Amino acid sequence: MIDSTRPVAVRAAEHPSAARTARRRRLAGRATPYLFLAPALVLFVGLIVYPMIRAFQMSFYDWKVLAGATSTFIGFDNYARAMGDPVFWRGLANSGVYMALSVPPQVVLGLLIAMLLKSKSPSQPVYRVLFYLPVVTSWVVVSLLFKYLFADQGLINWALADVLHLGDGSTSWLSSRWTALIAISALGIWKGIGWSMMIFLAALQGVPESLEEAALMDGANRWQRFRVVTVPAIRPALAFVIVMLVIGGFNVFTSVLLMTGGGPGGQTEVLLTYMYRQAFTNLDFGYGSAIAVLLTMIVLVLSLAQMRIFHGTGQEEG
Amino acid sequence: MRSRDRTRTSSVVARHALLSVGALIMLTPFVYMVSTSLKSQAYVLTIPPQFIPNPATIGNYVQVLTTQNFVTYFMNSVVVSTTATGISVLISSMMAYAFARFRFPGRELLFRLVLVGLMVPAMMLIIPQFILAKQLSLIDSLQGLVIFYVAASISLNTFLLRGFFASIPRELDDAMQVDGANAWTRYWRLVMPLSTPALATTTIFTFLATWDEFAWALTIINDPAKRTLPLAIQLFQGQNATQWGLVFAASVIAVLPVIVVFLIFQKYFVQGLTTGAVKG
Amino acid sequence: MKRSLTTLTVTSVVAAATLALAGCSGSSPTADASDGATETVAPVTLTMWGTYGNGGNTAQTDVLNQTLIPSFEASHPGITVDYVDIPYADLKQKLTTGAAADELPDLVRSDIGWVAQFASLGVLAPLDQEMDDFSTYADATYPGSLATNAWDGHHYGLPLDTNTRVLVTSQAALDAAGLSEPPATFDDLQAMATALAGKDIATFADSGLQGWNILPWIWSGGGEITDADLTTSTGYLDGAESVAAVQMLVDLYTQGAIPNLITGNSGATSTSDGLPAGQYATILDGPWMRDIWAGQYPEFAPIYAPVPAGPGGSISVVGGENIVIPATTEHMDAATEFVRFTQSEEFQLAMATVGQMPVVESAGTKAADADPFYAPFATQLATAKPRLVIPQSSEVDSILSTELTPAFEGTTTVQAALTSAAKQIDALLTSN
Repeated sequence: MIDSTRPVAVRAAEHPSAARTARRRRLAGRATPYLFLAPALVLFVGLIVYPMIRAFQMSFYDWKVLAGATSTFIGFDNYARAMGDPVFWRGLANSGVYMALSVPPQVVLGLLIAMLLKSKSPSQPVYRVLFYLPVVTSWVVVSLLFKYLFADQGLINWALADVLHLGDGSTSWLSSRWTALIAISALGIWKGIGWSMMIFLAALQGVPESLEEAALMDGANRWQRFRVVTVPAIRPALAFVIVMLVIGGFNVFTSVLLMTGGGPGGQTEVLLTYMYRQAFTNLDFGYGSAIAVLLTMIVLVLSLAQMRIFHGTGQEEG
Repeated sequence: MRSRDRTRTSSVVARHALLSVGALIMLTPFVYMVSTSLKSQAYVLTIPPQFIPNPATIGNYVQVLTTQNFVTYFMNSVVVSTTATGISVLISSMMAYAFARFRFPGRELLFRLVLVGLMVPAMMLIIPQFILAKQLSLIDSLQGLVIFYVAASISLNTFLLRGFFASIPRELDDAMQVDGANAWTRYWRLVMPLSTPALATTTIFTFLATWDEFAWALTIINDPAKRTLPLAIQLFQGQNATQWGLVFAASVIAVLPVIVVFLIFQKYFVQGLTTGAVKG
Repeated sequence: MKRSLTTLTVTSVVAAATLALAGCSGSSPTADASDGATETVAPVTLTMWGTYGNGGNTAQTDVLNQTLIPSFEASHPGITVDYVDIPYADLKQKLTTGAAADELPDLVRSDIGWVAQFASLGVLAPLDQEMDDFSTYADATYPGSLATNAWDGHHYGLPLDTNTRVLVTSQAALDAAGLSEPPATFDDLQAMATALAGKDIATFADSGLQGWNILPWIWSGGGEITDADLTTSTGYLDGAESVAAVQMLVDLYTQGAIPNLITGNSGATSTSDGLPAGQYATILDGPWMRDIWAGQYPEFAPIYAPVPAGPGGSISVVGGENIVIPATTEHMDAATEFVRFTQSEEFQLAMATVGQMPVVESAGTKAADADPFYAPFATQLATAKPRLVIPQSSEVDSILSTELTPAFEGTTTVQAALTSAAKQIDALLTSN
């Protein structure tokens, strides 16, 4: 009905009512993105951004918990304290080690399993549920279970010694820093594989089968097909998973709290457990906020760097 | 041809073997959790671990279900999680659509702000949020839980959905626009249906996050009648002694709805409809 | 898919609307707008936060809700008490967020270690000023327990229940060491270690090096943490007696008589499992273990004895809870009435039947007579001391733990570790 071959302005000149409609549509068009943004944006700004700003503000004060108490402004003192605090640096190192140990396996194994589970055969849903089960089990329960698994006389040592015959099963996993971090990372990997598997499952649906078939006919083997067809197609998902897992890795909290409590002697303290201790045990919210701000900045820088590496999916306007 | 069949069969077998080993590893702690929930207190968490409960008892489940309004807490969690998930998926997908399809001033900056929301440790926001909730009269209410849960999930959902929306070719949008469809129609009838895998993922994740959330529920809920499930489970951990059989039984009960949600939505992962639409 | 999306949206919008309409009030139970100046004129509801819910074991909450609160309400018409159970591990967090947003109850069953901290922040009301008859109640309770309520010249609560650690051992352990009685002195303990050398049983086990763990030994050794006025720790914590006491434990650790559970190995067997299982010969533990062992190890018959005596005697550490009133309460008179009720024999004896040791000495004697199980604990309580009653008590625990771990592991000397700890504690004390 609408003759879209002739310019809008010409059409408007010929039909005044159409001109009004066209202008209304243009104005409405300009407002459209904001209308789509509005509900989520209002909630996000009001309930997340505003508290973020307040928490940021807290870090510059010797913040008093009691409502209505006056807090002393101390400028960058909390940040200076963090810089000189060996526990802060150790926490940062431990969070980083945890992230480095737990993220690559989750990405690789998650993708591998997703590729094995992307077809429509009837056994697939069963497997999908099984791999997803760790994701839905509560952190409290699994941390306790893994603590018992890695106990001096736990299942892992027994399996290593009696089943796999690797060593004598006398590793005291949770009594020293590095072995404890390995145990905690094992928990993180085990619990997280199902999550990245799900993202990749969804993403693999968008891989063009036509390209895959073309590559197959060109004689490409499985690895080549994967590299040339699959990876580019799931690039946004890959970026998303890696960014999210890095963020999650630095934010590890419950598993450390329940498996080692940050011990022995604070050796496995991570940034968030230290932050929680400062804020909710010592009631020093100014310092706790400063630690949180520093953590956020580190994660932000890392995430922006990663996204720049993955930028250029070619799908979005710059 | 023949060797290809043989390769295919052996690859199927290999695949099943690999998956089975993986599934077993995934499953073992969960099996131990269920098995412990069927043991009476005397037998929990022995070393060496005991996988088959002997004697097995459903006493823990009975006690959990008849204790102190557990069913009420369960229903509270159901209401809060379904409401929060529904609202969040809707408004996050709208926001993601705006980021993916429109150019407007401040778009990149706004998106980065949304991402920062992912990186801030939630624990540090609790006090400002609590003061805010008090000012909005949302203390001790399920609405207070829902609204804050929705807000907290926006960052992740928008980030996830924007990526998926952006990978849908613009030509499809343009075709619809030429036919006179406005933005809402394009969003509702084109982009959303094509993104069912991503939407299913988002739904599952948001439901899980709101179902398991503890810290905020602890903070704003005082009235025992409004407690949600994670709080109820935590109450099974006592000051001097924790009856782990009860905790595990309650956790098994709590995990069932999440698995149900997963089973309902996971069939959308395998759609097969996109292959028709995405033509070079 | 479209249909289920639409259904989901419609359902959630309807649900949201229903919620919005149903609960527009969202009132908080602590604010009572009708409260007047006089106490019993307008009906008052007191809210109390506590941790009496002991996991799935409702014995304590049953006594409170079915016996004690009804009794109080009957004798105080116009006052109702609403007890809200909070998970034990999270009560401090909830108090903190509550203080920040001015959403606190009228009464709290607080851990003794938090009172000084919250008092110094202005969160709690000074009971010695709010209650004219405060000294009556103060005099009737154990001095060590009362001291945990003191801050800056006032008392911010009263003891609610108490406990302490005593030595626990088993007949099997005594037999293995060839002893007829539990070790009564430091020397006895060392002799026991010699007797058990080479056997598969550790002489003593504990789960950390915080105040709760190490102070009974330091005090029994004749040492102290600080001077009486809480001004300095150097010279006390690193004094000769303290060093000697800790050195004894370090020597036992080096010999292998104490497992590395004490230096924080969360993979080692816990004390509550290790003693009945025959892995550990002695531990320090409290009266709550009776019910736990009865459930998990019904065959096990623990033997309770005083903490081994050193040059300073047999001195243990005070634990327990205090009853406090947040300063923001709008029902001070009614709340103090309930506090008085908690100090009554009726309350203390009722709670004693479910494992809460009385803090009122007269009730304590009666309870020990009624149930001889409490006798060793009551005796130990007569001399037991509290940990440092300062706002930074949790930091003191971290300092002790962090400094002493290397001393046990041998990378530093006990003297150096304690001197370093003392210096850090000095810094905390001077800032008060």
